[in-house]
Amino acid sequence: MKKLLIPIFAVATLWGYGDGVIYWTPHNCDEGKKIYSKYTSSEKNTTHHKQEHSGKKHGGHGGGESAMFALMNLESNASAVLIRPDLSNEPLNFTINTITLPRPKTGGYYAMIAEANTTEYVYSAIRYVSMHGRPAGISPTKLTALSKTALEILPDPLHREHDRYTASKTYRFVAMFEGKPLANTAMTLETHNTPAHSLTTDEKGVVKITLPNDFKNVTPDRNANKPSEFLVTLQHDANAKHYISTFTMPYSANPNDFWQSQEWGAGAIFIGFLGGLLIYRRQSTKGVQRG
Amino acid sequence: MDKFLTLTALRRIVQLTAFFFFVYGATVFTTFYTDDKLTQALPALSCAYDQKGGDFCTLIPLQHQMDHRVSTLFTEGSGVMEALMGTLITVGTVAVLILILNKAFCGWLCPLGFFQEVVGMIGTKLGIKQFSSLSRETINKIRPIKWFIFLFLVLIFPILTGIGLLGHEWGSPFCSICPSRIMTTLAVGDMSQVYVSQAGWGYFALSLIADLLFGLMIALALFVRQPFCRICPILPMQTLFKKIGLLRLVKNGSSHCDGCSNCVKACPMDIYEIAAHAENKNITHTDCTLCGRCVEFCPHDGVMSFKYGPATILTSSKESFKKRVKVDKWWRG
Repeated sequence: MKKLLIPIFAVATLWGYGDGVIYWTPHNCDEGKKIYSKYTSSEKNTTHHKQEHSGKKHGGHGGGESAMFALMNLESNASAVLIRPDLSNEPLNFTINTITLPRPKTGGYYAMIAEANTTEYVYSAIRYVSMHGRPAGISPTKLTALSKTALEILPDPLHREHDRYTASKTYRFVAMFEGKPLANTAMTLETHNTPAHSLTTDEKGVVKITLPNDFKNVTPDRNANKPSEFLVTLQHDANAKHYISTFTMPYSANPNDFWQSQEWGAGAIFIGFLGGLLIYRRQSTKGVQRG
Repeated sequence: MDKFLTLTALRRIVQLTAFFFFVYGATVFTTFYTDDKLTQALPALSCAYDQKGGDFCTLIPLQHQMDHRVSTLFTEGSGVMEALMGTLITVGTVAVLILILNKAFCGWLCPLGFFQEVVGMIGTKLGIKQFSSLSRETINKIRPIKWFIFLFLVLIFPILTGIGLLGHEWGSPFCSICPSRIMTTLAVGDMSQVYVSQAGWGYFALSLIADLLFGLMIALALFVRQPFCRICPILPMQTLFKKIGLLRLVKNGSSHCDGCSNCVKACPMDIYEIAAHAENKNITHTDCTLCGRCVEFCPHDGVMSFKYGPATILTSSKESFKKRVKVDKWWRG
């Protein structure tokens, strides 16, 4: 456990990542991954595990994801709850600052909510986890629309199931307080490699966030690069209290920033088009006008 | 105004509506999320890579199921039901959809089919010489390709990937080369699917083929009807169930058909078999898209018909033939 927490702490303190707020972060320990893999596969050893252990390249669903999460900067008593796709919920129990997700009954989006209160502050942290499995048959819009904490960063929308947040792409978020949008309010975005910078919501409480392309030593393979984490923080004063809410999710390197060339792609389409015109030229003397 | 009241005009309206639904539908009718899509197993090329699309093509779940579930039959000795349940649900959904509309998913609803037809119309209006029906020899050479694509790119390669014999790029190889992925994403302003990958030879080959194929398809569509449809693996998928389809093309050439072959000339898929003698027979061919052009261009009363169950919903006639020919001349100027 210490081996894992020390690097997380070291990286986090490098930029002051997540200072003064509580936020969810995944445990990348083998145990957490093993549990997640069990949840998302058949009960026997999964194909993914077999290939991983035999060194074969495969990047199937659930690769590298964990069922264990730590609530960082947890100082006081905090409570955590898991909201299922059908909006039912169950409490999550901490071991020090770590929780283990229970086996999901269905696939789809789950929301992990943590709250901690002091006399002056109300802290909350939200993270969504997409689990693979039998379809829940319930729209994720119901989960995102549900008011989960007083102050909430609402992804609008979340990335699609089976997809991932990706660097250099822009995503919409809505700042909400007690179910109403917060206009002209500052949010901060930070990642493990990019210091915090501030963004302001518009009149509808919406902010558009472009995830930074800040990956280093990228290997040209979609499945060979570990995702990084981004943290969005929202603060608001009301009812003589200071509310602080966070939203964390993993994001991945954008292949088009590294090992995919869009210029070459456009060039290949043009060559294909020229090939078609060449066929036309060769055949046009043989063809007969269609009637 | 009356001259526009043809089956093709109706089909264009349906195609245009379907195009907006399947390419942009998530902005109005469904949502962005997979769980909210209409069927998630549409037997037409409505691409899942299009984040604003209203539904998904059946080939994407099918490839994933081959890769992640069916392969476990060989790697883990999974139970048959456990390994095949997802595939059975997908295939069962396709069967129900085919029962309702049969192969009209291609001729009436497929976004890529409509796109090619629009390119063809542009080609006609630009005065590009249109090629007549392809020769039987050419057609016979082309026809097996769709089966090869279906068997290898949709079924076998994904299973081999799940077993671990191929790299991850072969987990959904058809999607990797499908022109609908590029067309639909470009249609919503997303350029991210136009690329050549340098992540390995497999990724490189598939991405290069995809781009070349997309460019080639557009150029060919300017002067050849439905170039990609001829090799589309959706056709074999539909063919598995076409016998149960309520909508079908029926020929009753016993008394009137004089073998003029107008039906073959009108057919965008060059199905020369439809000119053969048939008496009240379902002639819905594997390549047929149920576009209905053969019914429109048949000059004989009651020879070619669209039937839905026991009901005849459209039949060929001299009057409709004359009208259709007039419209065609008007369109070509």
